[in-house]
Amino acid sequence: MIYSRALNEALHRALGEDARVVVLGEDISDPYGGAFKVSRGLTTAFPDRVKTTPVSEQAIAGISAGLALGGYRPIAEVMFGDFLSLCFDQLLNHITKYHAMYAGQVTCPVMFRAPMGGHRGYGPTHSQSIEKHFLGIPHLRVVAASPYHEPYDAFADFLAKDDPVLFVEHKLLYPKHITAPTDGRVGELLASHAGSEGVLPSVCLSLVPREECALTIVAYGYEALLAASVVEKLGMEDELFCELVVPAQIAPVDFAPIDASVSATRRLLTVEEGTAGWSWGDRVAASIQRSHFGRLAKPVEVLASQPTVIPGARRLEQEMLVGAHHIEQKIREALS
Amino acid sequence: MSDVIVPTSDVNSETGVIVEWKFADGARVEAGDVVADIETSKAVIEVPVTASGFLLQLAAQDAEVPLSAPIAKLFESTEALEAHRAAMKAEENAAAEAAASAGVRATAKAKARAAELGVDLASLDTSRLITVKEVEAAVQGAFDPASLPAPLAAPEDTERVLLIGGARGATQVIDIFRGGTGQTAVAIVDDDKSKWGTEVYGVPVVGGSDRIGPLFAEGAFDAVVIAISTSVAARRKLRELCASLSVPLTNAIDKTSKVASEVTMGRGNVLCAFVQIGTSAIVGDNNFISAYNSFEHHNILGSDISTGPGCVTSSRVKIGDRCRLGTGIFIEPGVELGEEVRVASGSVLLKSVPAKHTVKQKVVTTVVVPNR
Repeated sequence: MIYSRALNEALHRALGEDARVVVLGEDISDPYGGAFKVSRGLTTAFPDRVKTTPVSEQAIAGISAGLALGGYRPIAEVMFGDFLSLCFDQLLNHITKYHAMYAGQVTCPVMFRAPMGGHRGYGPTHSQSIEKHFLGIPHLRVVAASPYHEPYDAFADFLAKDDPVLFVEHKLLYPKHITAPTDGRVGELLASHAGSEGVLPSVCLSLVPREECALTIVAYGYEALLAASVVEKLGMEDELFCELVVPAQIAPVDFAPIDASVSATRRLLTVEEGTAGWSWGDRVAASIQRSHFGRLAKPVEVLASQPTVIPGARRLEQEMLVGAHHIEQKIREALS
Repeated sequence: MSDVIVPTSDVNSETGVIVEWKFADGARVEAGDVVADIETSKAVIEVPVTASGFLLQLAAQDAEVPLSAPIAKLFESTEALEAHRAAMKAEENAAAEAAASAGVRATAKAKARAAELGVDLASLDTSRLITVKEVEAAVQGAFDPASLPAPLAAPEDTERVLLIGGARGATQVIDIFRGGTGQTAVAIVDDDKSKWGTEVYGVPVVGGSDRIGPLFAEGAFDAVVIAISTSVAARRKLRELCASLSVPLTNAIDKTSKVASEVTMGRGNVLCAFVQIGTSAIVGDNNFISAYNSFEHHNILGSDISTGPGCVTSSRVKIGDRCRLGTGIFIEPGVELGEEVRVASGSVLLKSVPAKHTVKQKVVTTVVVPNR
């Protein structure tokens, strides 16, 4: 099943199973069903709890915060992740702080769903992966959609806990099929789940057992899909064997599966589509270099997009955003 | 023949689902007819044909199709359509057969190496991805099990010993026996297949560790010495393997070494030339003690320890299981090393070291220059 449909079914299921769930967003009413059709059918099935809002992300965030304080579980669709900047104040100064500011008497469990990512020629303000600006906000979990994780699990995790969540969905995943591990495999790759208790598990992918891999790659979202294709290609063609660790929750980071893999490979490459500098990979690199100090064969490599504005021209965008060719080049360097 | 293409500029969808075929497979359609509805993630799209002809559906209703490929073809006549359908069927069958025979997964390098060495990939373990390593191992391992050498015979009054490990450690143990300990090395086992059938100082390598049990059951040897000094983990693993097979270990103590009064010694210890064990010392099992080691009186050694040459302890020193000592180490009285402590060559230990710690040594570099 393609990701956008699975996400749509997961929303139906969450609304159906949990009466606290409400869904808000721009243009999500039927028959349009949202810019990426993820909300299709929701207003028809749950007209009382699924509402199209005015074109105001501040309003969506503020109303969601109020609903959450009132005991609901709002899931807010932000049409393009780029517009999350308009929700930032509500998230930073209110939603993630109420619990502490009111001495634990209230909780504010809001989930923001936001399509991120480029490679589509949508230009500077509709192609970004700005989640890095939301990493490290205390009491905010950031979860990334991935081709190897069922989307409902992210909703179940949100509904089971009392914290706000930012769920970033790379828009190129929408038309892709979900390939969660089955029988220890994802296609040609060996696949397993790993992670700490109570955290959405990471998926570990490799062509050969971990002990035979010489590099760990950690990547999330659409970049995980690109990395997996490179891992397979370099393994099958050149016997450059890597293990790819794909987390669902990207903040706070669950280091256990990365630690375990790096213990075997002694090399790490992080991959993300966001721009370089002050990035997710920088954070992972800092921790792994600390915990594996003296045992790494090479310094951790961080691959991120060029720190500039995403161009509208497709050819230029391909150079600027991390693509499969960049990942391949980095892996070859790391293993040379 | 012409292709029926989905008319979409939707960059957000790579595939669509055929909601409905408006005409049956093989039916006559006219230019402009809408032949199918396709649902993408964005919309339901009508698919018109731009020419007239007979319709060959390339996917069933409800099937998911890539939007970049034709979903149907149009033919001038029913005969042309059927001929194409038959050709497609044949192609599918051939592809299915090829897929079935391609159950072997191997890297490009492994395939090339297999062709070079004449290895049939299907004869290898196909449950995993085959790499160059597996291909080369298969060539090394291409032996006839019956052709593996048998253990040597030995005089009846000597202890017949099987050595585990056919590398340099084996030469040391064989040399100890040659010094007249009343023991004879009758065979060696080693899991490195490339060593099988070779000899170390005239003692044949008769196979891998899987032969220990059967050979013992045949009565081919009396006891085992583990002749590997480089890995304490391997020493432990192999000792446990022997224990699980109820195969006894024996000591190999060089004639030049001195074991003092009232020493308690376990089994499977290798004491190379000029080793001294002081009075009342306790030595565990399966330790590999290199030449010129001296463990003074009232030392306590654990098991699976390995030392380099020239390690000297003072009295009452304790050395835990699986410790690994380098070359030329001095240990002061009463110092205790926990389990799995590693000590760098040249260290002088004045105080105890907790388990699972490494003692590092500042290396004093000796500069080597050409003569002037």
